[in-house]
Order: sequence, then structure tokens, then C-alpha cells
Amino acid sequence: MNRRDFLKKTCIAGIGISIPGTFSSLVGSLYASQYADIGVARGTPPEAITKAAIDAIGGIHRFISRGDIVVVKPNIGWDRTPEMAADTNPEVVAALVKLCYDAGAKKVKVFDNPCVDPRRSYKQSGIADAASAAGAEVSFMDERKFKDVRIDGRALKKWPLYTDILEADKVINVPIAKVHGLSTLTLGMKNWMGIMGGWRGRIHQNLHQSLVDISQVIRPTLIVLDAVRILTGHGPQGGNLSDVKTLNTVIAGTDQVAVDAYGAETLFYIKGSRLGFVRIGHETGLGTMDLSQLIIKKVDV
Amino acid sequence: MKKHTIRTLRRLSQGIFLLLFLFLFIQTESNGLDELGCPVRIFLDFDPLIAISTLLSAHAIVAGFFFSLIIIVLTALLGRVFCGWVCPLGTLHNAVGYFNKRRPTPIHRSWHTLKYYILFFVLASSLFTAQVAGIIDPISLLIRSLSLSVYPLVNYLTRAFFDTIYALQIPVITDGSEWVYSLLKSTVLSFGQPYFLQGIFIGTLFFLILALNLYERRFWCRYLCPLGALLGILSRFPLLKRSVSEGCTSCGICEKVCPNSAITDGDGTWRGPECLYCMDCDDLCPEGAISFGWKGRGEGVPIDLARRNVFVSLISGVAAVPLLRIVPQSRGGWFHPALIRPPGALDEGEFLKRCVRCGECMKVCITNGLQPTLFEAGLEGLWTPRLVPKIGYCEFRCTLCGQVCPTGAIEELTVREKEETRIGMAVIDTSRCLPYAYDIPCIVCEEVCPTPEKAIWLEMVKVQPREGNETILKLPRVDIERCVGCGICEAHCPVQARPAIYVISTNESRSDANQLLLNP
Repeated sequence: MNRRDFLKKTCIAGIGISIPGTFSSLVGSLYASQYADIGVARGTPPEAITKAAIDAIGGIHRFISRGDIVVVKPNIGWDRTPEMAADTNPEVVAALVKLCYDAGAKKVKVFDNPCVDPRRSYKQSGIADAASAAGAEVSFMDERKFKDVRIDGRALKKWPLYTDILEADKVINVPIAKVHGLSTLTLGMKNWMGIMGGWRGRIHQNLHQSLVDISQVIRPTLIVLDAVRILTGHGPQGGNLSDVKTLNTVIAGTDQVAVDAYGAETLFYIKGSRLGFVRIGHETGLGTMDLSQLIIKKVDV
Repeated sequence: MKKHTIRTLRRLSQGIFLLLFLFLFIQTESNGLDELGCPVRIFLDFDPLIAISTLLSAHAIVAGFFFSLIIIVLTALLGRVFCGWVCPLGTLHNAVGYFNKRRPTPIHRSWHTLKYYILFFVLASSLFTAQVAGIIDPISLLIRSLSLSVYPLVNYLTRAFFDTIYALQIPVITDGSEWVYSLLKSTVLSFGQPYFLQGIFIGTLFFLILALNLYERRFWCRYLCPLGALLGILSRFPLLKRSVSEGCTSCGICEKVCPNSAITDGDGTWRGPECLYCMDCDDLCPEGAISFGWKGRGEGVPIDLARRNVFVSLISGVAAVPLLRIVPQSRGGWFHPALIRPPGALDEGEFLKRCVRCGECMKVCITNGLQPTLFEAGLEGLWTPRLVPKIGYCEFRCTLCGQVCPTGAIEELTVREKEETRIGMAVIDTSRCLPYAYDIPCIVCEEVCPTPEKAIWLEMVKVQPREGNETILKLPRVDIERCVGCGICEAHCPVQARPAIYVISTNESRSDANQLLLNP
């Protein structure tokens, strides 16, 4: 903030104080001119919209500091190629890795616990190659690094979680937006299943509450929702090109519930409140699903 | 100067081929791509016994047929150089035999002929359509034993060792050991720890065969190996011959050092078909009287086979065929539910005529799901591959097993063809499926179902639980026209001990008979 900005803002603030009742909203909007709650970028290439979406909420420097060890957690759940939209777009992942290094990150780690063979998922999704080329440390999950963590949630009391994500300085969640048989949609919070060890299929018995419980433990610095391509049918694994919709969109935010609610509403036209994990997340104070309360900045690239 | 040069050369050659063999063996594993990108079965391709027995049993020319012709021609010209200079199992026998300090080793000369009778038995069975060669073919035996037993064992030991140091978290040392461990993981260790049914049995058999070297060096090569016998017959009149000059003092050293006791009778008589062309006798002769060359008398000593024994081995080979087949498996309409063959496997009869049980498909199987049969396919199908989804499902877009099969028992499929190949079908047991039996939501089988149009779909049903309000529950249902029987549902079913959804062999594409639908 330079001198001129400072004067301008004190001036406006002064006016704000003089008009009771409008103060907070005015200051709020001023603040928003720097940091929106949610940044949405549309266009191509994926790398550019990833950067634009993050810039819209303050830029990567707001989130990553020099010397940070960062985990970028994509969805590498399935043995599918990028055009099938079952895994996070590799270019979005690579762009994030680059941004983190640009911001001075010491090391960027990329991993996921796929539902099928990891070698095929990592390779066929294009993520392993793209992220490695961007300088990330791409590794397969090491069974020994799952440690029982107390969660004390309503559904999950404790669960083996991946230590690398618990020990990281910063965590960036980079899910892809897809439909899902039980949770209706899989967005950001559902992506945390990828850092769960053990017999994680069991959480489907109380899926929504479990996802909120996990999301309470893993608080990401940043969520980047990949909607370059979204999967609109036969999720989460897909396999039909006809189920894939190209939206060339990336959504960034810091509130796990808000990003999922916004994604559901704008990508799939499903009210956030209709998704169990979003509603419970809102009710338990993990975040907000009330989009009218949020400042949303849209950018076209 | 001349001393031991040939021996050094031979050991070098054996070492190089053994390393090549082990390298290709380790490469027999997914790298995440659709293709392996490495000719991992090349040793099987060069194996003439596999080529000939498959030709007889299935009337099929295997992919490596022309490679095996190279060995046949080479042997006819040079003798059993393959055994002495190339065969990786032979090299292992050499290595173990090194620990046998008894000299001279006991020699049972008349046992030499046993391997020929084994060969006749095997070929007679093949001619009458039973493929038994693979059980005892050295290359097949070696790959199978390494895949199902030795390699898993080495992996287990290594992992246990490094995991222990990791668990102790000793400063500096653990960092170092983890560095070594990650190096090993990226080079010689497998991606995950392999587990195999019957691994203990197959491994014990292999170690016993190796241990025979302690009783008598190269016991296997001398008395048992049918490939050695086949090459022996081919080298009845080799162009490369051993000759002894006038300088011979009959000191008997050559007879003592001969690893395959091809020099006998105390007078240096040379049995060409038994000679492995190691040329140790040439190297070690104190008088320098022995040489191998193109000239000289062409006459070796013939293989002293007893006509009656030849007859008996042939007859038993033929008789073995009906003996193996008087089991219910051979009867039409009898299908073992757990005999889920790999995708691309030929129809059972044709499959058994070709499968040499080399274990390549089980080694390469990306999920470890391919396991050796015991009696699921009858004794004739012993150690052939079957999928055990509880251990590992069939990865939807993986085609590796067909790529490594040396005889085409498993056809090489494109990813597209593979995705449409059924190996069985999933069946839901509603008596323990969570939503059906207990009103507990669970869609894991539907979620993991890989067919683009999911074979498992969810039926919305209103249920009234014992307590609480009426709710809507999603019940998994199987669409048998779309199910390919990959078994990922069975592998992921939360009812772990006895999955509530499991695969049976019914509807497998390869069979016209094992079908459920009117129009499959």
C-alpha cells in the first residue's frame, strides 16, 4: 500500500465512519478489492486460468512463503487419460507447482492414494509427468507413512492419515469437479479421501459427516477446483467422452465449504445445501455455503 | 597365458546371460504405460522345447518359433553350447555346484538316459494334445520359481530389513538406509510385495533342484533336463568336435573336471550329446592334448538308450493324457466358478494345450491377482493362471498378461479389445451386502466399477429401518450384459472376509458354453 492508496483509503474510511451502518460493508468491499473470497477464471490455457484464479484472490504470494514445504494434492484416483476428466487436469497441477516455486517454496510434493493401480493412474492421468517436469517431488504413497490421527469428529474418531500432508507447511487441494454415486458430487472435501489409509471404503456408511470430519483436520491453505473439464455422468471414474463437459474454468478459494458450494452451483447447477457434506460443513462452522455473503471475482483470460 | 582363458570367457558369457535374464525378469512389471517396452520373454522365445511341444499339442507356431530355430541350428552345428554358455538355470547350477567340494562327484552314468526318457514322455503327451513340457522345461521352471517364490521372498526380506531400520528411526542411519531402500525400490525390488498361493511349494521344489548340485554337480542338467536331452539329440553329429592328440597321458584330469561327465570310461571317451562345451578339459589338460575343432573324427559315442525304456516312456506319455483328463473338468458343462482365466485366454481346451505355466503372466499381473491353480482346472491345469479377485482384481485397461505369454495361451489384446473381454461376472450376495441386509449405505462396488456404462447401477428403494424414519437407500445391482467380471468390486467390498459381491467364471467371453444369456 503506497502513500496515495493510504490517503485514499483513510479518506473513504472516514466517510464510512461518518455514515453509521455502512461502515463495515464499505470497508469490506475495499478489502475485497484486494482479496476476493472466490476467484473464478475462464479461458485457456489451463496454466493461465490457474494463475488468474489465484491472482483474483490475492496471488500465490498470499499463500506460499519462502522456504515452505508444500503439498499439492490432486485427484489421481483413476486410470484414465486427461480427456476423460476422471483425474485433475495435469496442466493445472503443473501450473500450481510452478507458482509455488515462483513464490519461493522449498519443495513441492505431489501424491494421491488412487483407487486403482497407482502406476497406471499416475502415468495415464499425465499428472506424474507434468508435475515432475514442473519440478515437483512426485511419489507413490508409502504405506509406512500412514499414522493414526485423532479426529474426534461425529463420524470418525480416528483414522490413519498421510504424515506428509500433516507435516507440510502449506497444503493446496486441487480436486477435479465430478459427479459421484453417493455424494452426488465430488469436489474439494471429497478429495481428502486420497490421504486416508486403512479400509477407507467404510466411510461411505456415513460419508457426508466423515468428509467434514476429515476436512476439519486438514485445513488447506488454498483450494483450486479444476473445472477445465468436468465429469457429468458415470462418476467418479467416467470413461465416456460424452459425459465430459469442457468448461475451461478454474475456481480458487480458501473456504472449503464455499468453494464446494460455489462449484456445485455454477458447474452442476446443484444448490450447495443439497449436498450433505456442504450443508454439514456449513452448520458445523467449517465454512460457509451462503454464496450471497461471499465476494466473488470472475476473470476471463 | 592360454590357461583358463576359455573358462573365463565361458563364465563371462554365463554371467552376462544370467544378468540379462534377471534384468528382463525384473522388467516384467508395469511401468504405468500400456506397453512393457521390453522383450521380457525372449528366453522363452528361444526355447525349442516350448516351440516343439506347442507345435505338437496345439498345432500352433509360437511367436518365438523362429528364435527357437536359431538354437536348433546352433546346437546342430556347435553342440550343447546353450547349456554350457547361455542357460541361466545352468549357470545357477554351476554356482551352487561350486559349493560341492566332493571330487570326484559320484557318477551314475546310466542315469544320463533318464532325461531322454523324460523328453520322450513329454513329447508323446504333447503329440496327444497335453502340454506338460512347461512343468519341467528349465526356462519355464526358472521363471515360474523366481516369479512365484524366490522374488517374493527376496522382496519380503529386503522390505522387512529396511522397515525395521525405518521403525527404529536411528539418526543418520535411517536416512542412509532409506536412501538405499529407495534406490533398490527403483531398480531391483517389485512395486509392491508379491504374494502367491503355493509359493512355498513351488519354491521348495526349486531349492531342492538346486540342492541336488550338492549331491552331484549339475545333477539337473545331467539326468533330468528335457531341454538338455532335446539339444543332446540335436548335437548327435556336431561339427564342433573334441579331439585328443597323441600327447595324452591318460592322467584322467579331464574326466574329473568334466561338469556333465561327458568324458567317461577312464579312457577319455567323449560323449558328444552330454558335452556342454564348457571346454574346461581343454583349459585344464596339463599336456595341452585336448582341442575342439571342426576337423577330426565325427564319431562320438551314441546315446545308449534302451529300446524298451524308450517304448515305456512313450507309452506312459500317451497314457498320461487320458489319465489327466478323466476328471469332471473335462466333461462338457462343468465349470469351476473360481477358474477365472486372464483376459484373452483361449477357450479352456485350447488354453491348456498351450499354457506352459512359465508364470510370466502372474509375474506381470499389475494387481498380483493372477495366481497358480491347484486343482481348479484339474491336474492337467496345475499352475496355470487364474484370477483371484480377493487378492487382486483385473485392471480394466491393462493388457500385460497377453503381452508376455510366450505361447499365445493368452492372446495379446488391444486396450479396446480388453475393455470388452469378459472373464466372468459379478454376483451380489444380498444376505450380507450392507444396503440389502442392514440398510447401511454403501456404493463402493458401483464407484469402482470401471466399465464406461457402469455394470453396477444403483436402484433407489424406500426402506423402513428398525428405528428412525423411512429413508431412500441405493441398492447395487449388476447389469450382466455390461459386467466384464474384472472383480474390482469384490476386491473393494467392505465385507472383507467373504465379499458380498464376487465374481464367478460364468459369461466368460472365451467360452461358448459357459454362458448365462440367451444371446451373449
